[in-house]
Amino acid sequence: MERKGGCMCGAVRFTALEVPAEAGACHCEMCRRWTGSALIGVTVPLKNVTWEDETHLGRIQSSPWAERGFCTRCGSGMFFRVTMESEYSDSIELPIGVFDEADGFEITNEIYIDVKPDSFAYEGQAGRKLMTRAECHAKFGVLGDSE
Amino acid sequence: MSKLASGGCLCGAVRYTLSKPPEGYGACHCGMCRKWSGGIELGIEVAPGGITWQGEDLIATYKSSEWAERGWCRECGSNLFWRLTAPGPMQGLLALCAGSLDRLDGLELQSEVYIDHKPAGHAFAGDRKRMTEAEVLASVGMTPPEDI
Repeated sequence: MERKGGCMCGAVRFTALEVPAEAGACHCEMCRRWTGSALIGVTVPLKNVTWEDETHLGRIQSSPWAERGFCTRCGSGMFFRVTMESEYSDSIELPIGVFDEADGFEITNEIYIDVKPDSFAYEGQAGRKLMTRAECHAKFGVLGDSE
Repeated sequence: MSKLASGGCLCGAVRYTLSKPPEGYGACHCGMCRKWSGGIELGIEVAPGGITWQGEDLIATYKSSEWAERGWCRECGSNLFWRLTAPGPMQGLLALCAGSLDRLDGLELQSEVYIDHKPAGHAFAGDRKRMTEAEVLASVGMTPPEDI
């Protein structure tokens, strides 16, 4: 479905098409530090995301193979994207929290589950697909040994 | 220095140490925290003066309400804190973003606020103190917006 979203202050706005309801949580150390908790995101084809105005959309190459985008005015995290040419580089990960309508998402998988802090857990973990750090590195190994 | 009392952003440009190791943190489900964090904001209460920064000049701030501002690393965009700016004895109080700690293991998720604003699609497992927006505002002597 089509969804609109934006950062906390409204300087960065976007429209995304074909946004799935299924979301994944990443507990890797980089996502944890970046979001302050975990990155719960949906994967959307890159071509389906239109930014209204990129003036305040900052980017950082957070690893040799991926970048993250954030609002340079208010600091809201806006996206994670694999930049290294691969099967993953045609899509973008949008945090579910940046969508205007907060409902309609469900966490169906959690990755880096073995490095998740032991002090919180999302309800329903038993019913989801879980991947450890080692399993993620095996699956995404083409990208290199990085979080 | 205990790892429980140190932390920093994703890129490492901003680091901090706490004068006192935290015991736990709380979750905020309000709409502003949701958009800012991209999910759920987890905050550790740090008393004014209870934190020492390294790379403080790389912290950017945004005044997000009449009484508070938010800080993040201008290099990598990592969320760092919500800070009370309103004058008073608690001016400077931080809700430090818990995920920025070097280690969160052993801490406790002690409370959830604005629980009535939590999206339906996810929830934290376990039982703890939970407060609605009206209860939070009443606890600090404010009137919920719908009554103003």
